[in-house]
Formats: sequence, structure tokens, C-alpha cells
Amino acid sequence: MKKHAITLTVNGEERDLIVPSNRTLLDALRDDLGYTDTKYGCGTGECGACTVLVDGKTSINGCLTLAATMDGKSITTAAGLARDGNLHPVQQAFIDNDAIQCGFCTPGMVLKAVSILDENPNPTEEEIRHGLEGSICRCTGYTKIVDAVQDASNRLSGVGE
Amino acid sequence: MTSRVMRDFDLLLPESVAQAITLLATHKDKAAVLAGGTDLLVALKFDYDIDNVVSLALVPGLDVLEFDSERGLAIGAKVTIADLLKSSDVKEYYPALWQSAKVFATPQLRNTATVIGNILRASPAGDCSLAIYALGGILTLENATGRREVDLDDFWISYGVTARKDDELTISLQVPAPATGQKSAFRRMTRVTEDLSKLNAAVCLQMDGDECTGARVAMGCVGPTLIRLPKVENMLAGSVVTPELLQEISDTVASEINPIDDIRSSAEYRLKVAGVLVKRVIKLALNEGNDQ
Amino acid sequence: MGELKVVGKKVERVDVRSKVTGGALYAADVQLAGMLYGKIVRCYDHAHARVTSLDLSEAVKCKGVIKVLGPKDVTQKEYNASVLDMMVSADMRGVLGDIDDQSIFTDHVKHYGDAIAAVIATSEEAAERAAEKIKATYEELPVYLTADDAKQPDALQFRPEKPGNLAFQLPEMAFPNNAYAWGEVDDSFAEADIIVEDSFYVSKQKQCQMEPGSYIALYDDQKRLNCWTSTQMPKLVQKKLANLYELPMTRVKIHTTVIGGGFGARLGMVLEPETCALAMAVPGRPVKLLSPREEDWLTSPSRHPGKYWMKMGFKKDGTPVACDAKFENYKGAYYVDASGTAFTTGAWLGGMYKFDSLRYRGESYYTNQSICGAFRGYGNPQTNFVMEQMVDRGCAQLGADPIEWRKKWHKTIGDDGWCIGVPYNSCALDECLDRAAEAISWTEKRVKYKNQTGVKRRGIGVAVMNHTSGAMPMLLEHTVCDVLLHQDATATINLACSDMGQGSHTTLRQVAAETLDFPYDDIHIATGDTDAAGFDIGAHASRTLYVGGGAVKQACEDVRRQLFDRAALELEEDASNLYMEDKIIHVKGASNKSISVQTIADQGVNNFMNPETGELIGQPGQIQGYASFFPPHNAPPFGATIAEVEVDTETGEVKVIELVNAHDVGRAIHPGVVEGQLDGGAQQGLGMALTEETYFDEKGICLNNSFTDYKMFGPSDMPKMTNILVENPDPTGPFGAKGVGEAGIVPPVGATANAIFNAIGVQILEAPITPEKILKALEEKNNA
Ligand SMILES: Cc1cc2nc3c(=O)[nH]c(=O)nc-3n(C[C@H](O)[C@H](O)[C@H](O)COP(=O)(O)OP(=O)(O)OC[C@H]3O[C@@H](n4cnc5c(N)ncnc54)[C@H](O)[C@@H]3O)c2cc1C
Ligand code: FES
Ligand code: FES
Repeated sequence: MKKHAITLTVNGEERDLIVPSNRTLLDALRDDLGYTDTKYGCGTGECGACTVLVDGKTSINGCLTLAATMDGKSITTAAGLARDGNLHPVQQAFIDNDAIQCGFCTPGMVLKAVSILDENPNPTEEEIRHGLEGSICRCTGYTKIVDAVQDASNRLSGVGE
Repeated sequence: MTSRVMRDFDLLLPESVAQAITLLATHKDKAAVLAGGTDLLVALKFDYDIDNVVSLALVPGLDVLEFDSERGLAIGAKVTIADLLKSSDVKEYYPALWQSAKVFATPQLRNTATVIGNILRASPAGDCSLAIYALGGILTLENATGRREVDLDDFWISYGVTARKDDELTISLQVPAPATGQKSAFRRMTRVTEDLSKLNAAVCLQMDGDECTGARVAMGCVGPTLIRLPKVENMLAGSVVTPELLQEISDTVASEINPIDDIRSSAEYRLKVAGVLVKRVIKLALNEGNDQ
Repeated sequence: MGELKVVGKKVERVDVRSKVTGGALYAADVQLAGMLYGKIVRCYDHAHARVTSLDLSEAVKCKGVIKVLGPKDVTQKEYNASVLDMMVSADMRGVLGDIDDQSIFTDHVKHYGDAIAAVIATSEEAAERAAEKIKATYEELPVYLTADDAKQPDALQFRPEKPGNLAFQLPEMAFPNNAYAWGEVDDSFAEADIIVEDSFYVSKQKQCQMEPGSYIALYDDQKRLNCWTSTQMPKLVQKKLANLYELPMTRVKIHTTVIGGGFGARLGMVLEPETCALAMAVPGRPVKLLSPREEDWLTSPSRHPGKYWMKMGFKKDGTPVACDAKFENYKGAYYVDASGTAFTTGAWLGGMYKFDSLRYRGESYYTNQSICGAFRGYGNPQTNFVMEQMVDRGCAQLGADPIEWRKKWHKTIGDDGWCIGVPYNSCALDECLDRAAEAISWTEKRVKYKNQTGVKRRGIGVAVMNHTSGAMPMLLEHTVCDVLLHQDATATINLACSDMGQGSHTTLRQVAAETLDFPYDDIHIATGDTDAAGFDIGAHASRTLYVGGGAVKQACEDVRRQLFDRAALELEEDASNLYMEDKIIHVKGASNKSISVQTIADQGVNNFMNPETGELIGQPGQIQGYASFFPPHNAPPFGATIAEVEVDTETGEVKVIELVNAHDVGRAIHPGVVEGQLDGGAQQGLGMALTEETYFDEKGICLNNSFTDYKMFGPSDMPKMTNILVENPDPTGPFGAKGVGEAGIVPPVGATANAIFNAIGVQILEAPITPEKILKALEEKNNA
């Protein structure tokens, strides 16, 4: 099987690696680079546990992306959202709104929330819910996750401060 | 049964259309084209086996999404569903396509899945494919011997099988420009919001005032490929769309479809509800967004 | 009880920071040096077959393969993955008839995906590739998918000990006539003016916890068997593995990792036995086993599906005179929790209404489906689907308002609870019903939704439930807790209770802080290490806060008592004359006489001797608290849900508009945690009612063991949710708390079904209530 030498910038750090053709971005991140914050939940694009951001905003499924096609790309995982020890406002909103239970969906969820708010800083509840499709949470019934995204939207746009 | 690890294959990363075509000419049925990969990579985790995967990732020039009031909409092979949603032209001139993109899969999938990949997958449930089928479209395919155009009407042959030859790369899709008075809509039924369609329908109506002068009506999940409903189209053409006509249409649909039982629904249900869905999608097209 | 300082507050949960940054380590995230990878070879050709040949030879030759194991290469002992037999007394174990009928690898395939062999290799990929090279041939056997199939006289017998493929029925010894019963049902029916009766089907719902099964096992140089797993019940799994591998408990260690959801899927053992079998074959090397989602589906237990028949009789004035019911569940290939659920399904029925007489029979039949076991509610959602629809049918015939009828006839304080002989000691169900009804404008809507004619019809329905906090007296309820008071006056609480994400480590920490009267930040909950933690029966039965919290409270009270004793010694005062404020112990009425907890804690460890004189200062020794806690009761949680739906009568589609969940939670130790349990439970309850079912074809091949084909309510499907927490402290719960882990899933099931009934006037007897079934039922109604 062909191997490919690629460079990924993960959470701002440049990483060189050699991947076989069939390696998913998810496996490359987890097994080759140690970013175990990106999760395997289904491997078939349904659950969103493997979500990462490309260029800090576009959400994709790591499980349905070949690592070798991502040469030169910049990837953000949940571990890369905090700045100087301060949580990203979305992360803080997830904590403050009790939007985290088992936490297995959480890394993907917060990244998804970041991408939703990047595209639309003031989404309606319906837009948030539509945007959260593709990220399954089996613990929370989504209520508090929706609240958290709404809250993060307010924080980021300075409402209520 | 699925595996966490994909099958072995060689990933080939051509850097031009010409290179891609050369690779396809070399490997023929031993190669698969990789666009967004949302179908292909899932298949590779199950039983599908292929020696070579030709990725379009580095191929330039395939991401055109252009609207021209005469030629219509050109969609390149790398245009994603998310790209459609960002286009105000698609929203304005091709409501059926826009609506199908809006409910398509998930945000992550929409960011990677391509429109042309959806067509090439030749699934009888494909959402964007169905909308485009109603709107009409012509695919441009290219191999080492040159380019050819294939009308979507002649493209899907059976479940998962298309008129594309093994060595052909699909370059783009052209959807005709809407004439004044064209109205279109797409609607699907799923078990929960995020799901593959269990029944979907799309229409494109040419309206002259209250009169429908021509119609394309397409349905999915009711046969091995997406199909058109010629009887319904004939009933619409030259008619004023009255509630009575809609009811007649609704009663006719079942005679034009041949659904099966599967995990998402039953043949019996599909036969019963297909007519309702067609009626509603026509109303949706005419009321431009409101089908009630 | 004075004013509560930590209990009842929305403190920051203990685990959320590491979860939101992705630092939390789940089993799949643990990486050990020299790791090998296992792949279990399963039969995906048949659901029932005998393996006639197994050829491992090609696999052995594959690149990276360390070992290939067939059925004879691993322990020959049989086991039962469930741990129910470890939670009851030895006598009871005999009565229940639990048997060991599973083996690591089998030559008799009993369900699609049964394990036949395994590969150990240097990478996951190498293991996968080699596994594909293992060739088996089979002799097909007849496939039994339902109880009716399995009980045919000529059916092949799954186990000689279980004639008729009847894995379990309520045992005659404890349940005369194999029934959980009171009164004379047949006589009571004779008094009934109205009788309703029907046969229902309840579905094989899957937990779909987001983290698929992931395990690591290592048989280490000290000949200790280590297993990293996200189990719900570390201490019982430790004991089970010790039994299976014939090791003393000192040589089996469970490392509980962060758990990505459980809901019952991790109750008992799942693939721990298999992973350990692989590790035993390669001593000194850790072996990791990662299930694809599809494998996790087939190997972890589901909810028990089956046929549920019920008959109810009422007098004209509404008096419920008799209830007769029988649940024949489709157990799946192995025994697992056959006894437990077959009993509790009836227990919840018995615990709800004041029928003059009641008879419930529960039977579990072996079938060629994947195993069933625990799933949030443990029989209660099944009963809710059936019982609540029957009650509403009764109300319709009586002309009674479903809420008023329920308020009048539900069991309450003093009535026998779900276990006959253990009366309820608290109940705030009336308040739940009243507040829910008001929140959703029940009365107005019941009137408004009468006689609708349009395509889309609204409906509103109610359901109630009773449950339990811990399973006393059915199980030997017991949790051990140690508290270590450090020399800096912070405390580590050591116990085995897992937090599956439900927030129990947070609420346990709150209980500890409140009891010790220490700040929340001064407490650490240490769990996950079976070497250190004492006995506990695991995180299930809504027991962790109630029983685990009881243990924490008692152990912390022990620490407090010791602190006060030492303070008394130092201050030369009677302990009863002391009080504590801000971690300083004062003498009542003498503000200048005091000693800090810090001083006491530090003295005992570092400064217990005067270096010059050699005299002892205070009482030497580190303070430790201990509790081996047996709860006195099962603090019954009650709850009511009102659901509003809209049914499209042309397509049969149901849109859930709103759910109001009002629950008697005793006390909400952490309101956010409680709401989260209700929200999440509701998502699963709606799924059970409307979309979730595992399908098999006639050959027993599972058709939807994946998220692609099995559909759950997603963010856009969820309705508007209103949670009402009714706080009516239970006399036995820690700070009055009841367990809420399971309650949330239960009443949305019946309420949704009843709302559909209200909208369209027909009841759908099979879960899930799909558009396909609704349309068919509407057609039949119109044709009738
Ligand atoms: C979770 C999930 C949800 C989904 N939901 C939906 C949904 O709601 N509606 C729906 O319609 N579909 C859905 N799909 C299916 C899938 O996303 C679509 O079919 C998608 O449009 C395929 O595009 P792609 O670019 O990812 O295709 P790929 O997987 O890259 O390709 C699909 C097929 O087309 C061929 N191909 C692609 N491009 C070319 C080309 N230029 N020339 C020649 N051959 C080519 C490939 O070889 C392959 O056979 C879903 C899939 C998943 C995993
Ligand atoms: S693991 Fe990628 S979507 Fe589930
Ligand atoms: S918090 Fe458990 S899956 Fe979302």
C-alpha cells in the first residue's frame, strides 16, 4: 500500500507524518499524533464524535477523511480551542449550562458549536438545532447543549455583559 | 460487516484533470474516483474492495459553481452541498435544489459531500440528485478519447450503476436556466431529521399564470433508481392545478412506482403515501415555500 | 437540617473541564507500551449454526500476527456476563436459577455476531486483516426469533437445564403459580363493569451510549490480571473475572476509565472476559480491543423485547379491581439478566395502581437474537408503554379524565411499593401531576383537541411511573466508602461507584462537602481503582446517589465524629458542646476556645509529639472515616410526563410538540444534574415510543446495528422540554434525595403513546409507533 508523507498543522503546531493510503484523519490524529480528544463513535459519518475543524471553522468528519488528502491543512481539535489556559467561550458555556454529561460527544459538539457560530453569530434556536444535526448526544437530550450554544452566541457578541 | 480500518488501496493524488484521466485509463475498473468520499470511504469500511483510489483533492478547476441566465447553472465535480447553500443563485433560481441541499445529511457531510458524487452514487434515495433530476441536467464526462455529454434522463441504469464508463471522469453538470414562470420544489420524508430519505419527491413546473405548461416530476425510494412519473407529468401539462387535479394526481402516483420493503419503510406505506408527498411537493412549488 | 451550603447548588461538575478540553481519557484513549491489538472473529453468516470446521492456519501466517485463538485455546469455563448472581444471597441465587451459559469462543453460534475465534497482532489493521483469513464452515440450525418460535415442542434446546427454552420464569418457590400477585384476580374480574385487554409488543431498544466498547487487558509480571474498561460495576466485574480465571481478587484489578455513557450497556461484563482471554494468552503484553459500533451493538445487551399481554378491570366508578399481565420476553442467545428484568417488569406494574388484585407472570425465552440485559428503566419503559395505554383505554370507556383517575388510584405512602411488603415512605406524585397539568394547560387542551377533523391533529397524553432508588430488598444493597482526611484538612473519598456521565461524582462530592461542612473544593472523589475501593454493586438501579451517597454521608459523619472527639480532647470540653464553622471547631458560648480542623488533621499526622518532652499532643494518627452502608429503603421516585403531539393523518408522521416532565426527586442535590437526567431520559423514552427498534430478518441477521440504520431523536426532533422538579425530601435519602437516573426515560413512553391515542382515537399496540403503523391503524379504523 502506498504511503504518503504529509504535514498537518494541528492546533497551531506543525506535524510531519507518514500515513498509509487508507489511514483516516481520525486515526492519524488519535494514533499517530496522540490527539485522543477526537473520538471514534461510529466510523460512518453519523455521530460526529470525530468532528474536527479545517481552517478553524469548517467542520468535517475525521472518520470519513483520508489523512493523505489533508496535506498542508490546518486542523483544530477540541484540545486546541483554549487560549493561554482560558477556555474558549463556547467551552465555558458548555460547562456553565450543564451541557456535558458523559462527555464523549463533547469535543465534537464544541467544535460544531464553534463552526455554527462562525457561520452565523446570532443563530435562532432552530438554526442551532439544524446545525447540531450530525452530532449525536445520547445523554443530554440536546436541551442544554442548545442553551449552551445560545449562551456562547451571546457571550461572543457581547450581549448581556 | 464493517471494520474500523479501511481496506487496503493505493491512494493516487493527480494534480490535473489530464493526470486523473491518465490514471483512470491505466487502472480502469481497478480504480474508483474519490470526491468527498462520504459514500466511497464508508463502502471501503464494509465489503467494497478496490485497488486504487483516485482522489480529486489536488485537481484544480473542478470547483466551479456558476450561474448564467442563459446557460444555467454549472456545477463542477468538487462542488459540495455546502457550496450550493452559499449560493444565492441556487436559492433564487433552483428552489428544489436548494431545499434538497438544506436537509441533506449533516453539516459535516455537507462540507465534504459533492453534488456530483451524489449523482454518481446512483442511489435511489439521493436527495440532490432527485432535485436535479426534476430540474434537468447534463453531465460532462471525459476520458482519454475525449469528452461527451450525457443527459441525466439516460444516466442511471440500475441500483448503483450509471452510464459512466470505468475510465471516465465526471467533470461537471449543467442544469438548464429556468424560464420565466418555472417553479420547483423538493420534499423528503425521513424517520428522524437526519436520515436517508424513505420517500422523496421533486417537481419542476413551467407555469403560465395558473396554467402548467410542462412538468418534470421525480421520485426517489420507489424503485432501483430515481424515477420520473410520466403520467403525473402529463396530467399536469396543459392543466390548471386545482385541488381536484391534485387529488387525481395523488391517486395516480401509486400506479407509477414500484417500491420495496427496507429498513426505512415498507412498500405498502410508500405506495400509500407517495401520492400525498407528490401532491404536497407540487403545492410547495406553487406556494413557494408553503405547502399547507 | 440547617441551611444547605453545597447541596442543591449548581456547583461546577468535577469532570467537565477535562471533558470539554478533550483531556478526559476513555478506555480507547489509554495507550500502554508494547500494546497489541485483538480482533474477535464473529459469525456473520448465520444466527444459529454449529461450527463444523475452523481453519486458523492462513491467519497465523499473516504479517504482524502474534497469536490466533480458537475455542480450545482459551478458558473452557462457562460464565454469565451478568452480575445479578453476585448481588443476591447464595440461597436466592439457587431460587432464581441463573446459569452460566456463555463461553469465550463458541462452536455453537446462537446469534448473529457470536464469537468463534480471535487474533492478536501488532496493530489493529494486522489483526483485522488476519481475522478475515479465518475460515469457518457451518451447519445451519433453525432460527428462533420469538418466544412462540422458541417454545415449539420440537425446537432445538439452547440449554439442557432450561427445557422448552424457557430461560426463566418467576420461580414457584418465591412466587406461587409463577406469578407476582396479590388478591384473587379471577374473582376480581367478575366484579368489573369494564374490562380492557390487549396484546402488545415492546421493542428491542439499544442504549447507543456514545462510546463503543473499548478494553485493554494485561496479565502482568506479578501475575495480576489488569483490565481497563469503562464498566458500570468495577467491583462485581473484578469478582466475576477472578472467578472466571480462577484468580484471587488480589490478582485482578479493574482500572475504570472515564465512561462514555452506559444506560445499562455496561452493566456486568461485556467484552472484558474475551479481552482478558487474549491477554492471558500473551502474558506481559497489553492487548487492546476496540469494537466497531456494529460489533458493540451485537455484543452488549439491549432492552428486552417481547410480547406483553395485559387485561384490566374497572368498576363503573373507576375503581381498578383487577390487573392481569404476562410478559414473554425474547431473551436472546444467552441467559444474562433473564431473571432480573422478567421480575422487575412486573414489579413496576405492581407498584403503580391500587388494583384490588393483580397477577403478573414474567417469562424469558431463549431466542437467536443478540443478548438482552439492563437498559435504563429495567423493564419499566416496557410496562409504561402497555400499562399506561391500558389505563387510558379504561379511562376513555369510563369517561374519566386520565389525570384525575391517576391521582385517585395511584399508590402512595403506606401502600405496598414495587416490592410487596415494602411500603412507600414518600410520594409527591399528585403534585407532579398538578404542576405538569398546569404547565401545559391540560384541561383546556383536552377539550380543544376533541373532534378534530383536519389532516393534522393534535393530541395530549399523560403517563406516570414509580421506580426505585437502589434495589433493596431485591438485591443486597451495599456500598463501602472510605474517607481519608489529609493533613491539610482536605479529604479524599474513596469508593467504587462509577460516574457514567450522570454526574454522580459531582453529587457525591456535594454530599461529602455538606456532611463534613467543608468547601466543595476541599473534597476529591477517588474511584476507579478496585485495589483500593471497597465493595459496591455498581452504578445501576438509580442507586449511586441514594446508596453511594448514603455511604459517603455515613463515612463523612464518621470523620466528623472523630474530629469532634479530638477537638473535645484538646479543648477539654464535651463533644456535644462543640460546633464547627468555616472548618474551625468552637466551644458553644466561648468564642475564644477553638481549634481548627487543619490543626487537628496536621497534628495527628505531623505534630503528634512534643519533640522536647516526647509527650503526645492530642490524639496521634490520621483520621479516616469508614462506612459499610446498607440503605434502609429504596426511596421511590415518582414522575409524570404530559406529551403533546401532532399527527399527520395522511402520512402517519408524528411531531412531538412538547414534553412536560414533573418528577418527585426528593431533593435535587444538583439541579443541573437532575434536569440533565430527565432531558436525556426523555430523548430515549421518545425513541422507544416512536423510532427505536432493532430489526432482524427471518434468518436472524440483524438489519440495523448501526447509526445509519437505527434512528434516534436528534437535536431537531426533540420537542420543547419543561422539567419540573418536585422536592419532597425522602426520609431515608441523603439530604432527602431519591435516584433520578432512570426515571426520566419512563413516562415519556406512555405519555407519547397516549397523546397519539388522544389525537387519532386509536391505540398502536406495537412499539415503536411508526408512521407505517399509524397509517395502517387509521385505515383499519376507517374501514371498521
Ligand atoms: C451520514 C451520512 C448521511 C448521508 N445523508 C445523505 C442524505 O441526506 N441525502 C443523500 O442524498 N445522500 C446522503 N448521504 C450519501 C452521500 O453523502 C452522498 O451520496 C454524497 O453526495 C456523495 O458525494 P461524495 O463527494 O462524498 O462522493 P464520493 O464518496 O467521493 O463518491 C461517490 C461515488 O461517486 C463516484 N464519483 C464521485 N465523483 C466522481 C467523479 N467526478 N467522476 C467519476 N466518479 C465520481 C465515486 O467513485 C463513488 O462511487 C449520506 C452519507 C452519510 C455517510
Ligand atoms: S466517528 Fe465519525 S461520525 Fe461517528
Ligand atoms: S454527553 Fe454523553 S453523549 Fe453527549
